[in-house]
Amino acid sequence: MNQLCSSTERRGTRLSTLLGLIVLVALLLQACAAPAAAPTQSGAAVATESAAAAPAGAPVSGGTLRYGRYADSLFLDPVLNDANLDIWVLNSLYDTLLQSTLDGQGIEPMLAEKYEMSADGLAMTLTLRPEIKFADGSPITPDDVKWSLDRARNPDNGIWTFSLESVDSVETLGDNQVVLKLKRPDPALPAALAMFNSAIMPQKLFEAMPGATDEEKATAFQEKIVGSGPFMLKEWQRGNFMLLERNPYYWAKDENGMQLPYLDAVRFEIIPEDATRILKLQGGEIDGAEFIPLSRAAELKADPNLKMELFPSTKVNSILVNNRSTLTDGSANPLSDVRVRQALNHATDKDALIQVVTYGAGTPEGSFMSASTPLYAAQAMYPYDVEKAKTLLKDAGFEQGFDVSVLAIAGSADDSALLTALQQMWAAVGVNLKIELVDAATRTARYRANDFQMRTSAWTNDINDPSQITSYFAIFKTVESLHTGFQDAELEQLFDDSQKELDPAKRAEQYKRIQEIYAAAAPIIFLYETPYPVALRSNVNGFYQIPLGQNLFSKAYLAK
Amino acid sequence: MNRWNYILMRLLQAFFTFFIIMFLVFMLIRLLPGDPASAILGDRATEADVARINAKLGLDKPLPEQFAIFVGNFFHGELGDSISFKIPVMRLIWQRVPVTIFLATYAAVLAVLIAVPLAFVAALRRGSAVDNAIRAVFQVGLSLPTFFVGLVLLTVLGAQLGLFPIGGYGTTFGQHLYYLFLPALTLGFNLAAVLMRNLRAAIIEVLTAEYVDFARAKGLRNRVVLSKHVLRNALISTVTLLGLNVGALLGGAVITETVFAIPGVGRLMVEAIYGRDYAVIQALTLTFAIMVFAAFLITDLVYAQLDPRVEMA
Amino acid sequence: MAATAAPAITTTRLRSRYRPNRTLLAGLCVLAILLVLAFFPSVIAPYSPTDFDYKAILQPPSWQHFFGTDNFGRDVFSRVIWATRIDMQIALFTTLFPFFFGSIVGAAAGFYGKWLDSLLNIISNIVVVFPFLVLVIAIVAFLGPGLTNMYIAVSVVGWVAYARLVRGEMLVQKQAEYALAARVMGFAPARIIGRHLLPNVIAPSIVYWMTAMSLGILLGASLGYLGLGAQPPTAEWGLMVADGKNFMVTAPWIATFPALALTIAGITFSLIGDGLADLLRPRR
Repeated sequence: MNQLCSSTERRGTRLSTLLGLIVLVALLLQACAAPAAAPTQSGAAVATESAAAAPAGAPVSGGTLRYGRYADSLFLDPVLNDANLDIWVLNSLYDTLLQSTLDGQGIEPMLAEKYEMSADGLAMTLTLRPEIKFADGSPITPDDVKWSLDRARNPDNGIWTFSLESVDSVETLGDNQVVLKLKRPDPALPAALAMFNSAIMPQKLFEAMPGATDEEKATAFQEKIVGSGPFMLKEWQRGNFMLLERNPYYWAKDENGMQLPYLDAVRFEIIPEDATRILKLQGGEIDGAEFIPLSRAAELKADPNLKMELFPSTKVNSILVNNRSTLTDGSANPLSDVRVRQALNHATDKDALIQVVTYGAGTPEGSFMSASTPLYAAQAMYPYDVEKAKTLLKDAGFEQGFDVSVLAIAGSADDSALLTALQQMWAAVGVNLKIELVDAATRTARYRANDFQMRTSAWTNDINDPSQITSYFAIFKTVESLHTGFQDAELEQLFDDSQKELDPAKRAEQYKRIQEIYAAAAPIIFLYETPYPVALRSNVNGFYQIPLGQNLFSKAYLAK
Repeated sequence: MNRWNYILMRLLQAFFTFFIIMFLVFMLIRLLPGDPASAILGDRATEADVARINAKLGLDKPLPEQFAIFVGNFFHGELGDSISFKIPVMRLIWQRVPVTIFLATYAAVLAVLIAVPLAFVAALRRGSAVDNAIRAVFQVGLSLPTFFVGLVLLTVLGAQLGLFPIGGYGTTFGQHLYYLFLPALTLGFNLAAVLMRNLRAAIIEVLTAEYVDFARAKGLRNRVVLSKHVLRNALISTVTLLGLNVGALLGGAVITETVFAIPGVGRLMVEAIYGRDYAVIQALTLTFAIMVFAAFLITDLVYAQLDPRVEMA
Repeated sequence: MAATAAPAITTTRLRSRYRPNRTLLAGLCVLAILLVLAFFPSVIAPYSPTDFDYKAILQPPSWQHFFGTDNFGRDVFSRVIWATRIDMQIALFTTLFPFFFGSIVGAAAGFYGKWLDSLLNIISNIVVVFPFLVLVIAIVAFLGPGLTNMYIAVSVVGWVAYARLVRGEMLVQKQAEYALAARVMGFAPARIIGRHLLPNVIAPSIVYWMTAMSLGILLGASLGYLGLGAQPPTAEWGLMVADGKNFMVTAPWIATFPALALTIAGITFSLIGDGLADLLRPRR
């Protein structure tokens, strides 16, 4: 550009700057002036406190519930799946013989209307309900049950076979009974039969699928699922949406005799961005959204068009600690001394963490398992006591403190908030926490190789029994006690005994002692439990997410 | 060298390039820390589970053998199965590629529709309030991150004013245009800003040059000559910039697809990298390569057509 | 991008045509302010950028907190000030190597042609055929998240744009009369490139450099959104905007003030770019 335009250019560029700033400030002012709540769309029903409490009005049949998920399921096979993303949806497609109670403590009938354990505890007989059918109208027979359970307990099939490990054989009896013969008494068997991998699938249809291996048939069957649950898979565009339609042959009715499920259809929409998912909910384009960031729970609770649910969960958050005396690079590991681990637990202000990370929604851990796990026994944990921590460190010979590194997932604001707060807390006792950021796959690979000193961790149970979480957290031969290297002979003996103990009182005693030993040894840094944050529009009733994580849509309905 | 020879040579180059790319990608993703088993099974994996998955995927074989199998399959048209979803990769991509292409094309079209007229207006009314306003708005847009612009548009135009749907793709062509308007606007706005700036400068340059030369001549004849010159040079710049920015458009699609919940391949690529889904990463790399290469070839040809002094060496 | 070839510029004539350019001065002034903030943040910022304050969460702008507080109780104003350093670094380190390396390679390829040009073509095809952001994500997954690895990733890919721009301009300029005249006069090719052609072909590259600085900061913001760039709790404008995305309606100050900072930085670089373009453009 030549000098002919420079004078106007000069003025122009400064004016542009000014105008640009004005535009941006206008944006800001507009945002400030905007009301906090989004415009209402459907007629607002009176907001109720919890969806499981008495609904506003009688259940209504019909309607499609649109539910926003943060990621799509990967593989909808009950036995071969690997992820919560699949597990928490499978129960809508398949029923199991028994099911978990809503509080996660007990087991009640589902496809089986009753079950009996033999006196010696080595045989269980289940009686199927009359007239139960698959989604195509064909009857659910004891042969289907036998085939499904055999498939689930086949050690070549997937990673969940441990739940039915005690079963020696499955036999059909008559036209409505199944007998499970056991190798040993198994107190967790009812819970195992309520677990998602024990889903009852149609044998003939599955085996008719093309493919040579079980996995190939399962992959093909995924496209044409015929299940035993309240809904059928109508359409699935991966990464986009999944449409479930009512199973017209479903057996269950509510207390008034009305056919379940109430809904005509459930539509899962995949919306990975939290802010967008919430906007869609506020705008009425979806009726429910999961995984609400806890930082927004208070805001959504105040919204008269929404119900902000914090469902009790089995989700425990902790910091896993490498207890071995040396690390993979050969250096000495200060965390191998139990006093050091106890000191770090004492130096952690869990109430402050609950405020900072979970915005008050969390509760302190009383044990390594969640309070909603059966046979949970609260322990006297490690109250926040900096002086005690310093004393313990001094006794262990670390009065000067030491350096320790923790593996965290890059980009996770929660991990970052948690670890930054811990950095500050532990600095008070001389411990210097270094945060190492990696992505999820890298962290898992290093963790499996025991190449870590500390890492953040969250766990949800898959079964209504403490055996799974104990086996993973505290038993060396499973996964080296979550790769901490923790091992205690008394605890392992108690566990083995408890796996055969049918007397609930005795078993509770065993688990009490197990939890005592674990708490005293402090192989991990105990943090807090967090609920499942789900937001629903106020006309959605009857939806529930059980502590195991499964989403129950069978009793959900959209009030008028 | 005539045009067809040129195209043929470029295609040969492309084939050679693609082969090198596939080889590099194949090697590099196997060097990534963490493997598909870790990504799939997560923290509960036992060593036995991991070994089982690795064996099934053929990952326990030596690398050269894996590559040979991969190339062999490729020439049979088999791109393999997605490790996460367990369905053929082709099916996964087939559903999603058109979505991203639609979004990127829509964004480019919107960018050109916005930038070109406004660039002319700004250049012709150089120095006026209109010119400054246009440049100011674009300057702001050019400096803001894509996800921020997207979320603001979504919040204001989508949620608060209810003018557009909040995310998603729709089912009919008309619905696509409606649902994708905000994301295309978000994605295209940066591009529009870049186009507008450069176009305006180019137009002014030509205008002033011609103006000096034809300082004495005024009237319609001048304008006709001017507009031919101006238009041609405007097109050259636009074409060059569009070509340069195809990669940026596809990259921006990653963010836009995440914010607006659009089922395209941008998002799929990022998820595949996180999930170490080798088959999807390899196939998508090739897909991106084809899309970008086609764009480059077209822009090079158009550029050569418009500027005859450039040899097609 | 001009249609007509311009007369040659030698260094003597460049100096005598030097004019203090108002656009450039305006841009440099704001840049100076930004650099002062980058080097001495603690002088202006009243609070630490990383201290939590649980009692002061999500407060709107006030006299105690000019830009309000975020969801951890941190002072947004202080964070914006402290972030200036990080973002200026991002602007510089994502563009320095690409500019120099790319321009030199592009000039050589455009001038000599033949195998060098074909090689550039092949390399640039391989490197550029991935969407930039996706390639950066892959490299960062390989090296680990964080800013340093982002610089490496960007440098590996980013030089190609400059190379293509300079090569394109070189193809036009080397046919111009002054260049042909210089060749006829027997000047060595290096001298022809260095003294005669480079000043003419470099202008679009420089202007692009300025835009690229702003784009570099925005790339950092995108990576921050995906969790791969600057890591929390670092104060970086793009990351702050990403952190504020959940509060656009209830606490818009968290995202908007860093966005304002981004805009100011963008305007600064664009003013400098425009000014430099004016300066370097050959006069008739």
